[in-house]
Amino acid sequence: MASVTSGQPHSQLVQAVAHGVTASWRMVRNELAMALKTTAGRIGLPLVAFHLLLAVFGPFLAPYPATEFQRDANNNVLQLQSPSTKYWLGTDNAGRDVLSRVMSGASSIIAVSVAGASLGIALGTIVGMSSGYKGGRTDEIVMRVMDGLMSFPSLLLALLVLSTLGANHENIIATIGVVFMPRVARVLRSVTLSLKSLEFVQSARLRGEPAPYIIFKEILPNAIPVLAVEGSVRLSYAILLASSLGFLGLGVQPPSPDWGLMISESRNFLVDAPWIGLAPAAGVATLVVGVNLLTDGLRQARGLPAGDDYE
Amino acid sequence: MNDGRRPDVPVAEIKDLAVTFYTPRGTVRAVRDVSFEIRPGEVLGLVGESGCGKSTVAFAMMGYLPGATRVDGEILFEGRDVATMPASELQDLRGSRIAMVYQDPATALNPTMRVGLQLEEVLKEHMGLSTQEARDRAADLFESVGLADPQHIGRRYPHQLSGGMQQRVVIAMALACDPHLLIMDEPTTGLDVTTEATILDLVIELKDRVDAAILFVSHNLGVIARVADRVTVMYAGQTVEHAQARDIFKSPRHPYTSGLISCVPQPPTGEEEGNRLTSIPGAVYAAQEEGGDSCLFAPRCPIAQESCSTQAPAMATSENDHFARCTFSGDVTDEIWGEGEARNERSADQPAEPVLTARNLRRFYGRQRKKYGFFGPQGRPPVRALVGIDFEIGSGRTLGVVGESGSGKTTAARAVVGLVPRSGGELQLNGDDLARSVEKRTGSQRAAMRMVFQNPTASLNPRLPVRHAIIRSLRKLAGLTREESRDRAFELMEAVGLDPTYLDRHPQELSGGEQQRVALAGAFAASPALIVADEAVSALDVSVQAQVLNLLEEHQRETGTSYMFITHDLGVVRYVSDDILVLYAGHVAEYGPAEAVLNAPSHPYTEALLSAAPVPDPDAEPEHIRLEGSVPTLRSAFKGCAFAGRCPRKIGEICDTAPPTRQAGTGPGHDIYCHIPLRQLDAMDSSELAREIASTPAD
Repeated sequence: MASVTSGQPHSQLVQAVAHGVTASWRMVRNELAMALKTTAGRIGLPLVAFHLLLAVFGPFLAPYPATEFQRDANNNVLQLQSPSTKYWLGTDNAGRDVLSRVMSGASSIIAVSVAGASLGIALGTIVGMSSGYKGGRTDEIVMRVMDGLMSFPSLLLALLVLSTLGANHENIIATIGVVFMPRVARVLRSVTLSLKSLEFVQSARLRGEPAPYIIFKEILPNAIPVLAVEGSVRLSYAILLASSLGFLGLGVQPPSPDWGLMISESRNFLVDAPWIGLAPAAGVATLVVGVNLLTDGLRQARGLPAGDDYE
Repeated sequence: MNDGRRPDVPVAEIKDLAVTFYTPRGTVRAVRDVSFEIRPGEVLGLVGESGCGKSTVAFAMMGYLPGATRVDGEILFEGRDVATMPASELQDLRGSRIAMVYQDPATALNPTMRVGLQLEEVLKEHMGLSTQEARDRAADLFESVGLADPQHIGRRYPHQLSGGMQQRVVIAMALACDPHLLIMDEPTTGLDVTTEATILDLVIELKDRVDAAILFVSHNLGVIARVADRVTVMYAGQTVEHAQARDIFKSPRHPYTSGLISCVPQPPTGEEEGNRLTSIPGAVYAAQEEGGDSCLFAPRCPIAQESCSTQAPAMATSENDHFARCTFSGDVTDEIWGEGEARNERSADQPAEPVLTARNLRRFYGRQRKKYGFFGPQGRPPVRALVGIDFEIGSGRTLGVVGESGSGKTTAARAVVGLVPRSGGELQLNGDDLARSVEKRTGSQRAAMRMVFQNPTASLNPRLPVRHAIIRSLRKLAGLTREESRDRAFELMEAVGLDPTYLDRHPQELSGGEQQRVALAGAFAASPALIVADEAVSALDVSVQAQVLNLLEEHQRETGTSYMFITHDLGVVRYVSDDILVLYAGHVAEYGPAEAVLNAPSHPYTEALLSAAPVPDPDAEPEHIRLEGSVPTLRSAFKGCAFAGRCPRKIGEICDTAPPTRQAGTGPGHDIYCHIPLRQLDAMDSSELAREIASTPAD
């Protein structure tokens, strides 16, 4: 009836969806608070938080500019210096301070992986939930396309895209997003399938709510625990993928500090100056371990089964 | 054989039992003060609402209690305390001397093992029998629990058996080692009435045959009345009354027992219109509370006096071993719960304008063609859930839809509201054709027809405050603004008897009954012409069920809403319905005004359903018409009568070869679909003939 949907149904819908998204964020915070009650969460969340802080403030706190060649009093470049009080983690083959480079490099890898994982989660959530809710032939087709995408090894697909489109931040993020989308979609689809048969969803159908409203306002909030876990799983894979791309030279271009790139460049000096490679490697490792512990914390807090994550 | 058990020496004795769970969320006093004893060869019924601690008592007797638990008092089994017994001895006891039958037979059996092997395993483990001995004994046991073809049934897997047969297998396993104590925890709750009746018959028969003591736990007073010799009533972890079954039902001495009995919908007696159901206000005393020096039932009790809240009553006995935990047990009469206002006029004969008309309504599930074109398995013919049914719902009237599970009643409800599109036939709401699916119907059609679901917990979004469902209904369907709908939501909450502050709570903070009231408030929101209630009270305790039924009736009186009331509970159907539709395997068996359907002459299926329904009266004369098996899943057009396979009154070949034609029954609008002529049906219902037929073996 005309009187029933008075006003602008479109803007109402947008409003409702926006409301659903903000409410979801509140629930994500709630999930994190719950994860803090587990041992894994208590270790993982501070580790992740530390890296996030490093990403934001690292470049400003670094003792030297990341690309500056360090010289001694005689203006000789201080190459391959071992760790000292002046250069805590020594210097690399070009005489740059390793600590400063590691601190400055956190931002690029974290920004890229967080953005890439978020994009993957967003796309996967939309595709998976819509497809699961719609069901039938549409679902069948969409999920087969997702299976097709998933059959490429993720690194190979990323290499393919980046070598054709060129390696820059935007393309790396887009690539990570596309690579992760089908994996997220599968998980969210199965959650949607089990939730959509519940009575409150059918009530919403009987009220005549449009499908986007039901998906984002009614179903999405109930998928948050799974989504939070999936998000942190994806984040840890995104970090690995981003640093692998850096290592292969498809990430940030030199001389910008990037952990993957730094590890790659340090290979030749692994025996003489192991600190050059070990420092960024430790950065990647602690970050991934932190994210994984956080994932476990989120899972334990909700009693979700230890996942059969597949990359 | 009797190994020294004397009928007067109790097999099990529970003395002052208290069970306390220590959980992260606080201390839960599941059982506070329970004492009873069970003697060989008797059935002790343990009854109470959910949350009263019945199951905890049953599990405590098996020694199945989790770690952080404190058990006070004694649980004596043949003189030895189960609670303090070493684990190894307990293990020997379980399964051999004490056996348990659980509610859900499907989960009690291992789905990957043939049922015979599962039984033989028990026999070999506990009785030390050889494989051949175990096999023979298993066949004997299967026979003793009334399973047909006992030699071969052991070859089947659990999923190849119906629910009733599965429960029989579980009972056979429990009986395998001649237990002295058999604990049955809600053994019939998950089963259809017809199956329930056959299992109850088996329990009664076992009582005479195996001379084990049986503890029968149930929330259903009708079931207890049928099987129990003595009854213990529990409330909030305490035994509140304990007596012979007859005394409990005829002259209860605790107000809670009396309230429970009067909550159960009963058939109206004689010509007069029945009274409204009485209901017990409030909810069960919380297990988190300490209790202290008061009667735990006092807050809900109609005859509570000041002393009830200052002094905890003790179990007091009166004549005939009748114990009651009530200071004023002498004052308990039938009237304390109120006479019940007379019900609104049931407009039996005044022809009402139909709100909803269904013509040849059909619904098939699945398609025959292959799933992926050329590939995939060959599809099977579709399941015929509804095979062309006709009915009408008059304005301001209630249509009760009954049948066993698989009879198509839920499919009918879903097709009516449009949650599943119908495969064929017509639906008209106030004379306008309805689209197949709810998404294609107009806003006013959606507003005119609302639905209430069985599971109140799932019908509210657990992540959103309860106001969400109500306010969205008001805004979407009644077209109110945000402010208007908030005010109206307040009114609706009051109308369903809830505090408006509940609007801001989340569903999990509400009890099941409160959740169902919220669901009703949402359904009432847009003043619908028809509310489809799918088992809307089945998941609720009797006292809460009565509250909800009264609420529905009140709403009907005030607004003239029609109801389509789907339920398997014949007591409820009797109570609420103006018209009744009896479905069997997607076919109409009988349809007409409630009185005509419930009285003779009736379709043999209706008759069997009525005969199976448990009544909370130990003297109720059991009509022995029993249906075995379950509703068939139809995949092809049926030549004969769908019920022929199970019909106790099958008259011959015609039942298998020709579909039954419609016969006008008594009065206008009463249809019976049966080959047996009306006069003969009428005669059959007279009890003499019924018994004669029942006594001749079915096969």
